[in-house]
Amino acid sequence: MKVEKPSRYIGMEQNMVQKNPDEVDVRFAFSFPDVYEVGMSHLGMHILYNLINNEPRYSCERVFAPWVDMEEQMRKESIPLFTIESKEEVKDFDFLGFTLQYEMSYTNILNILDLAGIPIHSRERGEDFPLVIAGGPCAYNPEPLWEFMDLFVIGEGEEVTLELMKIYDKHKKNGYNKRKFLEEVQATMEGIYVPSLYDVNYNDDGTIKDRFPMISGIPEVIDKRMIRDLDSMFSPEKMIVPYMETVHDRISMELFRGCTHGCRFCQAGMIYRPIREKSVDRLMELAEKLVDSTGYENISLSSLSSCDYSQLHLLISSLMERFEDRKVGVSLPSLRLDSVSIDILKEIEKVRKTGLTFAPEAGSQRLRDVINKGVDEDDLVNAVSYAFKEGWSRIKLYFMIGLPTETDEDVMGIKELSYLVKDLFFNRPPEERKGNFQVTASASCFVPKPFTPFQWHGQDTIEEFNDKINFVKGSIKDKKVTFNYHDPRVSYMEAIVARGDRRVSSLLYRAWEKGCRFDGWSEHFKYETWLEAMSELGMDGSFYANRSRDFSENLPWDFINPGPSKKYLQNEYTKAIKGETTRDCRLGCTGCGIKDCAMWGVFN
Amino acid sequence: MILRTRFTKVGYLKYLSHLDMVRLFTRTFSKAGIPIKFSEGFNPHPKFSIGNPLPLGTESMAEYMDVELAERMNPETFIERMNNALPEGIQIIGCKTVERRASLTSIIAWSHYEIRFVSEKLDEDIYFEGALTRWNRLSQVNITKKKKKGKKKVERQLDIKPLIGNITYKGKDSEGFHVLSALLKSGESGNLKPIELVEAMERELELSIDLDMVMIKRLDVFADEDGEIKELA
Repeated sequence: MKVEKPSRYIGMEQNMVQKNPDEVDVRFAFSFPDVYEVGMSHLGMHILYNLINNEPRYSCERVFAPWVDMEEQMRKESIPLFTIESKEEVKDFDFLGFTLQYEMSYTNILNILDLAGIPIHSRERGEDFPLVIAGGPCAYNPEPLWEFMDLFVIGEGEEVTLELMKIYDKHKKNGYNKRKFLEEVQATMEGIYVPSLYDVNYNDDGTIKDRFPMISGIPEVIDKRMIRDLDSMFSPEKMIVPYMETVHDRISMELFRGCTHGCRFCQAGMIYRPIREKSVDRLMELAEKLVDSTGYENISLSSLSSCDYSQLHLLISSLMERFEDRKVGVSLPSLRLDSVSIDILKEIEKVRKTGLTFAPEAGSQRLRDVINKGVDEDDLVNAVSYAFKEGWSRIKLYFMIGLPTETDEDVMGIKELSYLVKDLFFNRPPEERKGNFQVTASASCFVPKPFTPFQWHGQDTIEEFNDKINFVKGSIKDKKVTFNYHDPRVSYMEAIVARGDRRVSSLLYRAWEKGCRFDGWSEHFKYETWLEAMSELGMDGSFYANRSRDFSENLPWDFINPGPSKKYLQNEYTKAIKGETTRDCRLGCTGCGIKDCAMWGVFN
Repeated sequence: MILRTRFTKVGYLKYLSHLDMVRLFTRTFSKAGIPIKFSEGFNPHPKFSIGNPLPLGTESMAEYMDVELAERMNPETFIERMNNALPEGIQIIGCKTVERRASLTSIIAWSHYEIRFVSEKLDEDIYFEGALTRWNRLSQVNITKKKKKGKKKVERQLDIKPLIGNITYKGKDSEGFHVLSALLKSGESGNLKPIELVEAMERELELSIDLDMVMIKRLDVFADEDGEIKELA
């Protein structure tokens, strides 16, 4: 066997759709730019895959990043990249669509294009090549990929993908001209960004002077796309069931989109606003169909903060009752540290008991107020005490380091909270302690993201991160308490790309040329190579990562309208620095500025 | 009630690992509405066992699985429901009720393989017949088995001759592959992977076999009752 895990490439899974290419008008290759088992865990892929394949004359096939061993064989044998379904060449498709879930997957995109024999730069691709498009959360700052993509989809993809294919179909039947197609969709569709139709000027200090459309009749500001009604929206009734073990090996059911907490570090919490829920009836109907079609033994209720679902109790008890005899369990990907979550635990634990994960995000109350994470130490104490009482013994705590205004005291709070959890366990009477206690504190290095109140904040330097990590690491001297942390060098590169402008695309290209790929995998991340690429291009990484921006600066992503206004984000940043919190907007509108917010009627 | 089923594993699905197969069947039972018995406890799992795992990349017409049911079920109904839910390359082709005495892994002792390979050198059947005669005269053929013992890698020599029932040459097929038929020890009482046999033959006989292009298919498995090779009960 020349490659490991060959089932990454064979397809033929349950619920795979394979259509005869002769009976299809538009062929879409959907790519998650990482390895199969990561990509198959992504709910968005399952949605778009089934959405497109539901259309009789359209087809969607999958392509992932071949693992390094497969790439080596493909290059050696000159095998072009093919799709999983038909095993036909990716370059013969009409569309090649990438989902942008994390910045460190970008070099894989270039590698996929190259392996497919598709020119990497948009300007080098004529009508003979697929239209290369991208969407997903990272597309909200599309500029670092501007040279490679023909167009970006901004916002939710369900409606816009089919509309794009429809217009393309029309053009294809009337003599397709790429430029004409791109101009038409930019001029007529909402949520589309064609980077080649815009230009940017820079100031002497490297910041953006202005940006402008190069043709008339196209918008200066790109509004995101958003689905109004989630119940009538397309939701998959089946999912491809991989043979190999994937990261997320279960049914994923989306309860709602959006989030009302307003955590100031969280990009998803801003760009997916406003909150929109599916009804319990619709979810039960979907669950039934998904269990029947997949045979999966677990349903994960996945949303940004699933415990916020307004009918959570009803939904969970209905699911438990309906599927208990089929041994189908229900799980929540994350729990908030509040009383609602504790009640939910009681329901779920009937079938399966796994480790529990909580995300206080910051070690001190002061810093949790800064980031507007609306939980306090009492919440943690209550939640964890309850968990221990009910028999859980393994607790994971998620933190970030490098948050704005952070002091040594805040950092030490990571250790203190972990020790508090330990004490809560061992302060119980010995006869009531169940299981083998372990608390794991994981710290990631904070990466400021576009469209968050912290988008102006300069990231900690690698040295500062390392000092803080060593500070915590050195203070924890207990076998029951484990401290994990992310590599600050990865977070530094992520910060450069996340808040990058058009010039970062050259960096991505150069880094890829020099062999960077799978940068999100620690065993493949080549920090030195990234540094070399930057120095060859005369780029200063700290300009993007560590520099604090002024409110008056033109940010590279300012031309995208995600819903919440820039004014609101500025106001939130100002409040953050003062340690002032903002309430959950379910409790009353906080004025984020989103147009005709659907939840206004629901919660007011 | 226990159903002993025989199933295929062909085409691309030969690349599924043993664990992949376990996951596939777990979900297929649920999907097909099979009243399978579950184990007790906090993490209930369906009670079934697959006999001798196949090496990754080997096809088979003779995989066996014992399935424990909570209610009686007609074997024909079982086959029909399962095959509707299973992918094309994995299909149940036999099913009967058995009394459980011993596990499949302890019963299966021999596997019959079809081995196909290409070689530039072997244009004449007669050449291979001669090579096979030489092979049969060898009293001992050692191969190196690598094993991981904890962190240490341990190597040991193993004489594979006693693990071979018989080998016959079947000639060339329509695609230009040479076809061998081999009966090899398989299971707890001794195990020889077909690819290990081919590698050893290549080493001893210098047949110019392209080792990247060896196609292997398990055709049948047998039990061993006091030295006698028997059909599976």
